[in-house]
Amino acid sequence: MPPEGGRRSGATRRAPERASERLRRLLTVVPYLVRNQGTRVAEAADLFGMSEPELLADLDLLFVSGLPPYGPGDLIDVDIQDGRIWIGMADYFARPLRLTRSEALAIYLRGTALAGAPGLEEAPALSSALGKLADALGPEALGGLPERVDSAGDGRTPDTLGELRRAASGRERLRIEYYAASGAETTEREIDPEEVFFAIGNWYVAAWDHRSNSERLFRADRIHAAAATGERFEPRGLRGAGRPLYTPAEDDVRVTIRLRPQVRWVAEYYETSREVELGDGRLEVELPAGRLEWLERLLLRLWPDVEVVDPPGLNRRVRELAGRTRERYG
Amino acid sequence: MHPLERLVNLVALLLESRTPLTFEQIRSKLAEGYGHQDASSAKRMFERDKDVLRDIGVPIDVVSTDAWDVEHGYTIDKDRYYLPEIAFTPEELSALFVAVRSAGDVSAEEAVLKLLSGADRGILDGLGAPALAGEADPNLTRAAEAVAEGRRVRFAYRTSRGERSDRTVDAFGLAVRGGHWYLVGLDLDRAEIRSFRLSRISDDLDIAGEGTEPPDGFRAIEHVRAGPWGPGDAEETTATVAFSPDVAWWATKGIAGADTIRNRKDGWVEVRLAWPPGEGLISWILSFGPDAELAEPPELRSEILERLEEILAS
Repeated sequence: MPPEGGRRSGATRRAPERASERLRRLLTVVPYLVRNQGTRVAEAADLFGMSEPELLADLDLLFVSGLPPYGPGDLIDVDIQDGRIWIGMADYFARPLRLTRSEALAIYLRGTALAGAPGLEEAPALSSALGKLADALGPEALGGLPERVDSAGDGRTPDTLGELRRAASGRERLRIEYYAASGAETTEREIDPEEVFFAIGNWYVAAWDHRSNSERLFRADRIHAAAATGERFEPRGLRGAGRPLYTPAEDDVRVTIRLRPQVRWVAEYYETSREVELGDGRLEVELPAGRLEWLERLLLRLWPDVEVVDPPGLNRRVRELAGRTRERYG
Repeated sequence: MHPLERLVNLVALLLESRTPLTFEQIRSKLAEGYGHQDASSAKRMFERDKDVLRDIGVPIDVVSTDAWDVEHGYTIDKDRYYLPEIAFTPEELSALFVAVRSAGDVSAEEAVLKLLSGADRGILDGLGAPALAGEADPNLTRAAEAVAEGRRVRFAYRTSRGERSDRTVDAFGLAVRGGHWYLVGLDLDRAEIRSFRLSRISDDLDIAGEGTEPPDGFRAIEHVRAGPWGPGDAEETTATVAFSPDVAWWATKGIAGADTIRNRKDGWVEVRLAWPPGEGLISWILSFGPDAELAEPPELRSEILERLEEILAS
């Protein structure tokens, strides 16, 4: 088993209260317990994303269930001893339920998207697993989807993805060399990596940053080198997936710019705090920014399809950047 | 009796029964569950239970139990109930577990637990990397169902330039590029195969009937162009660009066909890359500011110079 805390249930999972959700879970856990007699309570709870009391409460109910006439010989036999579970008289629950249509689609799509994520070591195994799944479930579950879904498999492969994942799993503090786009500079810092995830085409790591003493998201492909410090850390429960990729801070500058239609993609790519349609195809957006270096570079590339509304001093900074860039061209 | 216990007993009863059971038979066998109430409220309770079971995927069928189609019985089709054995290797199961366990999507997470529950203990021992977290995309499931069933769909779409329009599309396929999902299909008003980024589909996707078949050899990904950074499908030109040490090591990651041709003494790195001419390349080079310098071709170099002069004069 991986170290504790290496797995966690997903953000959307909540303690099932309704009988239907408890039944769904029971019909999933029991086949495993029937097949694997003597499984430890803690292990089963961890594997299926439940707390031990939740699992024990469900098993308590199973214990009084069975077949008519519900005499002692007809009931499911649940035996928990020394923290291990034995289940008898439940052959009809010895195999799990089939995947529903939406479950089959969801696992197939998620698997396909990740199999195409750059640099994932498990990608070949994931692809062959999806192939077996499609064969076993057949068109009844997946329809024509397997022949009609594709992943480009493009993107930037981080040099340090393996190290980051290992460190997150082993709770090891790392010393990294990081190119911070916000300040357009390379920095060295120590981080406690907690969650590695793939979002909008890039790998990220959610970590505690000892340089700024705060929680930060790091683009994994901008981590040049990662070395173990030999120190371990206590996780703070930092989450990455599903949250905005930029965390606004109180001392952020609010930058307002106007985008012509051909550069409106900026509003999809960066976190905006306000968007106003100007009616002529242009979009006015407000971007929260801690530092301005990345914005100057963005404006340099977008010029003349972008106009700065606020702060006015930003135009001067873009001109200065253009001047420094101009020097390269003699 | 606890509702969960009643539901478990009902599933067990129907799985073990060799013949379909009428409601009366179920009521008498499961007297603890349905026997205490009058027949009509017991029937209502049974109907609700049946809906719960169907909702979680238990295939309950209603069949006639006599030749005259008067009596009806309930049965669970075991072939459709039980997950077939799938011979995953430990590596495959572990990969699924890592990929889907924290997908942020309840359906996907349930799915991987079902697959796991048909496995032998220890299959994940020593293999499991921690789960890779993710988030659900509500449009994706609907689009996937349309593709799986070959449907025609209708939705409101906003282009990257901000133009809104209603589209009717025969859903041919799905593709993921640069971390974004795209629906690819025949746009009926434009009579062309087009791709639609799911995040720009502003309204719910509506099913508008049966679709048509994609052409032979159709591959969804071939219809999805790269973003404003990546190379497109225009004719390519070769450019030589020098990058500063700060950015050189990551600048050309993920760009196919980029070759390092020289490591300069000052730490700068010269790279040759193939790119469609024009705006995309200039914009991309300028995004590095003074950390990049385009050396070749000369006409692009003078375009960049001109652009910089214009900014300086603005």
